[in-house]
Amino acid sequence: MMKWVLFSPELYYVVMAAVFFFMSLERQAEPRKLYKWAVILSGVGVLATVLGARLQGTLFFDAYRIDLFSQVFKILIAIGTFWVMLVCSELKGVDERRHAEFYFLMTICTLAMMMLVSAVELLTIYITLELSSYSLFLLVPMRKHDGEYAETGIKYFMIGATASAMMLFGLSYLYGVTHTTYVAEVVKALPRVFNQPAAVLGLVLALAGFLFKQALFPFHIWAPDVYQGSTNQVAAYIATGSKMAAAAMVIRFIGFGNADSGYFVQLLMVLSVLSMTFGNLVAIIQKDIKRLLAYSSIAHAGYMLIGILTMTEQGYASAIYYALAYLIMNFACFMVIIKVADDGHNLQIKELAGLHKRSPLLAMTLMLGLFGLAGIPPTVGFTGKFLVFAAALKKGYLILVIIGMVNATLSLYYYLIVIKAAYLLKPVREYLPVRVDGVTRSLSIALVVLMICVGIFPDRFMQLTEAAAAALLM
Amino acid sequence: MASMELASFPILSTILLSTIVALLVIMLIPEDRPKLVKQVSLGFAALGVVLSLLVYVSYDVDKGGLQFVERFLWVQSIGIYWFTAVDGINAPMLILTAVVLFTGVLTMWELETRVKEFFALMYLLVAGVYGVFMSMDLFWIFVWYDVSLFPMYPLIAIWGGTRKEYGAMKLTLYLLAGSALILPGILYVWAVGGGHTFDLFELQRMGLPAHVQRIAFIMLYLGFGILAGVWPFHTWSPVGHVAAPTAVSMIHAGVLMKLGAYGILRVGMTLCPEGLGYWADLMALLATIGIVYGAFVGLAQTDLKYVIGYSSVSHMGIVGLGLATMTVDGINGAVFQMFSHGVMTALFFSAVGYIYDRTHTKMIPELGGLSNTMPVASAFFIIAAFCGVGVPCMSSFWAELLVFISAVKTYPVRGVLAVISLVVSALFMLRVVQKTFYGPRNERWEHIPDVPLALATPRIILVGILVFFGLFPRLILDVIQSAVVPFVSSL
Repeated sequence: MMKWVLFSPELYYVVMAAVFFFMSLERQAEPRKLYKWAVILSGVGVLATVLGARLQGTLFFDAYRIDLFSQVFKILIAIGTFWVMLVCSELKGVDERRHAEFYFLMTICTLAMMMLVSAVELLTIYITLELSSYSLFLLVPMRKHDGEYAETGIKYFMIGATASAMMLFGLSYLYGVTHTTYVAEVVKALPRVFNQPAAVLGLVLALAGFLFKQALFPFHIWAPDVYQGSTNQVAAYIATGSKMAAAAMVIRFIGFGNADSGYFVQLLMVLSVLSMTFGNLVAIIQKDIKRLLAYSSIAHAGYMLIGILTMTEQGYASAIYYALAYLIMNFACFMVIIKVADDGHNLQIKELAGLHKRSPLLAMTLMLGLFGLAGIPPTVGFTGKFLVFAAALKKGYLILVIIGMVNATLSLYYYLIVIKAAYLLKPVREYLPVRVDGVTRSLSIALVVLMICVGIFPDRFMQLTEAAAAALLM
Repeated sequence: MASMELASFPILSTILLSTIVALLVIMLIPEDRPKLVKQVSLGFAALGVVLSLLVYVSYDVDKGGLQFVERFLWVQSIGIYWFTAVDGINAPMLILTAVVLFTGVLTMWELETRVKEFFALMYLLVAGVYGVFMSMDLFWIFVWYDVSLFPMYPLIAIWGGTRKEYGAMKLTLYLLAGSALILPGILYVWAVGGGHTFDLFELQRMGLPAHVQRIAFIMLYLGFGILAGVWPFHTWSPVGHVAAPTAVSMIHAGVLMKLGAYGILRVGMTLCPEGLGYWADLMALLATIGIVYGAFVGLAQTDLKYVIGYSSVSHMGIVGLGLATMTVDGINGAVFQMFSHGVMTALFFSAVGYIYDRTHTKMIPELGGLSNTMPVASAFFIIAAFCGVGVPCMSSFWAELLVFISAVKTYPVRGVLAVISLVVSALFMLRVVQKTFYGPRNERWEHIPDVPLALATPRIILVGILVFFGLFPRLILDVIQSAVVPFVSSL
């Protein structure tokens, strides 16, 4: 009986999903009512995960592990979901009849990702990953004017299915060479079989599935189209909540391995460098701000990987901190996009013109978010980069860090273009003033405070991330 | 004793905090009260002047070393400390910052567009500058360094003049490319030093291996050197100066460029003395090229601000040359030059700012005979020009003298070349002065009134400082020397 307490945060989301499921059976649910429920329930969900932060143990024949690492990421995912729900007040991108399904699928996806970060057995990992992917496959094409954006849905589905096929293939190889599906044991067995090509192939293919989720080069092709083609809220969700789960999974998988084998690290380094450079270079020419953020997310996956590939406790801790930072900064940017384009269209950079007049608060949130993404102090993004690079230098990867910093400078260029639009450009036509309701105002202020305070006073958070990284390696 | 009480009062943090409080207060003032914004800005700037003067005066020269130390642990696991202190090198820099901010606010008294944002950003910038000058922890030095850089972008792009967006973007990217070298440099040193402290002096005591020092020094030197306008990474500087509004040019050329030189001295040279020895030759070479190049290119300019921009390149070269000599006199002179060049350029830009505001041109051929219609405004520029060429009785005379004496001793050929180019820079300054302020009257400017007293005040303060330290150089050299002598002996 006591064991079920360990599962309580997930159980809460099961209940929440059930609530939305029954609401979706109603003929015509009132959107305002649904929104209120979504906010309240996901807010309580954050509480539930926070209360479960100190839980520890294993479930389901050791296929499911609950430790500080998984619980921290569950909190991050819950927060991401809560924030996205908060900005769903004007859910114009989705047909009103489907709002209940929208919330239902979001909840299911959140649930799946929470289970994903705890899964330590290959089949469990696969099932939870697919559950979260399939909810997203449905959420992405849910946008109105399906004709225009149907392509996105299909593309996402096809690429996603390919990635999971590759992953499954890789997992089967891993099982073949190690005769077990428990990640911990797979990893223990790996060094013995690492000379077999099948093992390397299996590991790389299995990683591909996670890297696909994280949109790391060369598994990134879906990201720009999906960001652009899906509703702003769903894009925000993919960019924040979903990213957290992917990051957690990559850290968990590599962290378990802790196989400091030369080739593997070098492979990851190459991926990281390519991801940063490609993401940043292509982002420069983007006109659509969601596409721009998609390419920047590819670059950020690369930065995060620098911390992970050090394979040290400090490195994992820095990657977790980076994930936290990324969640805050990226959501800040998406919140501004959602609010400025409150009829749900795709926002172009030039439409931000004069934002500092239309809504100074949103303009400031956007500026801080972008400066954070560029890694400018005193924002949380800077501290994240600092810690990641510090961990890498501790292992002596000086060149990698220099490439990373050069990339950060590159990225500043396109972030500055957006900031310039918000602060300098004169609008070419009269835009409606941005409506900023109480929720948005307090959320903006909270994000601004978080971005600066977590950046300047990182001590507490670092202790947390270090404890989480330690739990990971236990 | 007053100084005893002062020692326990966190006066440095108070200075830093006051700029952040100023920033917050300014942001809370309603948009339609620009006057109030300016008054608040001036008030906080004055507070900064008083506090930094207090620090300077109560700094105990005989005792030397670090004083007004505040040090406590900030982040435990990787060893970041909140560590601020004053020694003979940064004490004059704090005054410089305070004075340039104060006079800068006064210079911008007539600003009308987006006043609130302007002063808020300016305070953010100054917070960064103060932070770099007083921090002794590598993490904070870097944080404040970047904080001081990024407000430059909006400050130039919104309120700037000629080709402002281009200038702003170029400047920001150049300077942040510099910090892309500094951060790995700092982290490299930290990692080699065991990875548990960012305290500058603890790392210095550890004594890093020679090969590490060589790599780290060149990264730190180039990184900070970009901001110090080291040739060939100086090209952002004239463009940026020309594009920036007056007060920003003042702070930027007057204080911000000094951050670069200060960073080389404080971080690079302190941590990597052997690296310095290895690269000093290159440093001296680049510095000399900068001095000569700045002087010659300045000769060909027709825009007053470009002239000052290139003279800055030349003068910052003198600072670099002084540092590269690794002698007491050379470094003394370099630090003194940082101070006096700061005040002098602030005066330059402030003087040009007034002329430009009234005539709406800063092209030398279009001006001419200005000394007839506005003698006082012209006088400020001419005084700055005298200071620039190192006329005796001006503070930069002493600074340049010290640098050149030790440069000729250490690097004879380069030293002599640098001295000769001083003549060229005298030539170009006098040419500018002659064409702009003397010569035939230009009717277009007949109706322009001379500087009113209120607007003359900031310039008078700057002139006063230049002459004061020109007459009593020991008042500042003794302080600088108290830090430089032990520093050089540790090299």
